[in-house]
Amino acid sequence: MTGLITKDFLVMRKMLRSYLLMIVVYTILAYLDFFDYSFIITFVQVALSVLPISAFAYDEQSKWDRYAMSLPLGRSRVVGARYLFVLLLTLFTVAFGLAGTALLYLAHQADFLEMFVTLMVSTAIGLLIPTILLPLSYKLGAERARPYLYAIVFIPVIAVVLLAKAGVLDMSMLKGMDLLAPTALAGRAVLPPLAGLALLFVSYLISCRVAAGKEY
Amino acid sequence: MTNCIEIKGLSKSYGDFALKNIDLTLPGGSILGLIGENGAGKTTTIKCILNLIHRDAGEITLLGYDNIREERLAKQDIGLVLDECFFSDALRPLDLDKILAPAYREWDRKLFRSYLDKFDLPEKKLIKEFSRGMKMKLSLSAALAHHPRLLILDEATAGLDPVVRDEILDEFLGFIQDEDHAILMSSHITSDLEKVADYIAYIHQGEVVLSDAKDSILDSYGRVGCTAAQLDNIDPRDILRTRKGTFGCEALVGDRVAFSRKYPMLLVERTTLEDIMLFVGKGETK
Repeated sequence: MTGLITKDFLVMRKMLRSYLLMIVVYTILAYLDFFDYSFIITFVQVALSVLPISAFAYDEQSKWDRYAMSLPLGRSRVVGARYLFVLLLTLFTVAFGLAGTALLYLAHQADFLEMFVTLMVSTAIGLLIPTILLPLSYKLGAERARPYLYAIVFIPVIAVVLLAKAGVLDMSMLKGMDLLAPTALAGRAVLPPLAGLALLFVSYLISCRVAAGKEY
Repeated sequence: MTNCIEIKGLSKSYGDFALKNIDLTLPGGSILGLIGENGAGKTTTIKCILNLIHRDAGEITLLGYDNIREERLAKQDIGLVLDECFFSDALRPLDLDKILAPAYREWDRKLFRSYLDKFDLPEKKLIKEFSRGMKMKLSLSAALAHHPRLLILDEATAGLDPVVRDEILDEFLGFIQDEDHAILMSSHITSDLEKVADYIAYIHQGEVVLSDAKDSILDSYGRVGCTAAQLDNIDPRDILRTRKGTFGCEALVGDRVAFSRKYPMLLVERTTLEDIMLFVGKGETK
């Protein structure tokens, strides 16, 4: 299983290297006050969450799946390796996000809580994307699953904006968050990524089922 | 000695195509050549063996293990080379060592590198830059580096030049010197199988129409060239298939010696696996 995770990292090393470079450059820019760090965290988290879909595309190109399923691992381990790849990318981004947040807090007395909440919410989004897309990719293949990515990212945003404009959604409730004590807010902010993790596990079980029924 | 592969009553239906009641046995220390036209069912059979597709009926035992219940145990001892290179273009040969070592109990890093060396494969070059021959050699190195007892090859020599093919065939012959080892090899290149195979199974339209020792097939089968009038005078029970062309007729006979004795006026030649395929694929029964 570790071999398959290694394979994903090796196949995408070029892409990961460019992401890493981008994070470093933007962190420096945020440090110099050119950029908002929260924006960078969100951007990176979402960008990395799309990588597993690219991994599927690479696999399809080389027909790797048939080979992977011929290895003495079993289908659930092959699927599990892809999910662990997602988790490792998420952990990496969270670790980097926390390090950057701490750095900016120490150097600029930036709002630590705000950045932390943003990091947690973006982590939840970063987990939600593969949660939905991985089973779809196993079922439909990378190319046919890709349009769903846009649906997952854009439909909720458009829906929230439209509902807010129509007055159905009361955005003033978000202001209530300011009234919460910082520790309570930080505590609540951890909930979305935890929920994301739980959903990712459910998604893994669904993908295992899809892969078990699939013919390679 | 255990049979390396035992297939009994294997069936798989796709609606428009069906694999029907396949029985195959591959004893240790030998090579079984699987021949057949495109779409005849060779790859479907191999996919069933590897549990990549769900069979409708039958039993498959690999090295004494059930291929579904004991899939992981069986696959520890199987090396696989398919018609394409499954490794991404973005990888390098040495990366395969990192990827495959955790999957196999007996992965031998030194052996893998010695194969890379033997086949002149640059360890750090991107696979993208490899020729087809190099890719197949790389697949073979990866397939052999965990000391497998059974090699499964699906069109592994297709598209390779004769020199590379010969090099790879030599490797196969070296592999089966151990009586515990065996190779299942599907190929369109029947001359390769004539060179190395001990047994031949011919799959035609999803059924095994011929399965025997290669020498026995090549020694007993024969091809008769004759005119249409001569063909009419042959007892239909003495010929298996016929082909009629503009310049004459040909017939496939199952017992060359007996046929020559009965029809001394007709010339019976030795036949090749390709001839047999052409008779079965394009010929007709009399």
